[in-house]
Amino acid sequence: MSQKAKETEKSAFDRRSFFKALGAGATVAVAPAMVTPAQAVDPGKDETRARYKESDHVKAFYRSNRY
Amino acid sequence: MARMKFLCDADRCIECNACVTACKNENEVPWGINRRRVVTINDGKPGERSVSMACMHCTDAPCAAVCPVDCFYTTADAVVLHSKDLCIGCGYCFYACPFGAPQYPKVGNFGSRGKMDKCTYCSGGPEADLSPAEFQKYGSNRLAEGKLPLCAEMCSTKSLLAGDGEIIAQIYKERVVKRGYGSGAWGWQTAYKETIAI
Repeated sequence: MSQKAKETEKSAFDRRSFFKALGAGATVAVAPAMVTPAQAVDPGKDETRARYKESDHVKAFYRSNRY
Repeated sequence: MARMKFLCDADRCIECNACVTACKNENEVPWGINRRRVVTINDGKPGERSVSMACMHCTDAPCAAVCPVDCFYTTADAVVLHSKDLCIGCGYCFYACPFGAPQYPKVGNFGSRGKMDKCTYCSGGPEADLSPAEFQKYGSNRLAEGKLPLCAEMCSTKSLLAGDGEIIAQIYKERVVKRGYGSGAWGWQTAYKETIAI
């Protein structure tokens, strides 16, 4: 292999290692930003508690629907 | 624990659309959205039937299964509700729902859908009960007031039933035992003659 070819190979290696290092750095920098708490709704007991009550109003509705 | 259900007695529905109007007024539903609709089959032909449809509050709701932000939750009353703060308006629930319940106000530019809106069984949303914020986003919370959804409560022919699934199923059963079902209904042959088969 000629001297010129070796120099070309060396410079190519440098460029590749530069971009490899750049990519690795970017991954490390972005990774913590991606680890955020889940935003899915997590309803507590208050949101999901039963609201239905068989009140007089509801009983009247059932009674009037029987005929 | 009582499980909230809707049941439409198709033999009684007269397609007056009062349930649709009552829902829109009670919950101040945005323009272009009907949380409840009356579907008529064989319209104008003998044997036409109408049924009032809204969110059926499924036990294993497909809308909740496909939601990418998981904004749905089921209450202890078995009512399927969602958070408009988390909804991103992707439209997946609209495609997943077999009843066409989730709808979008289309308020944004460039075709964005806005926050999904659907029947809440008149039981509000994740905000505090009977708060202005809850009313503004989801409409009234009649369940917290000891009442039932207005669509069912003001149905003139008592076609639309709402409440504890076991109780309304019993009411429907009593009706069927008394009057028969479909073509066997009391007065059916007087009204439509024997030639009409359903």
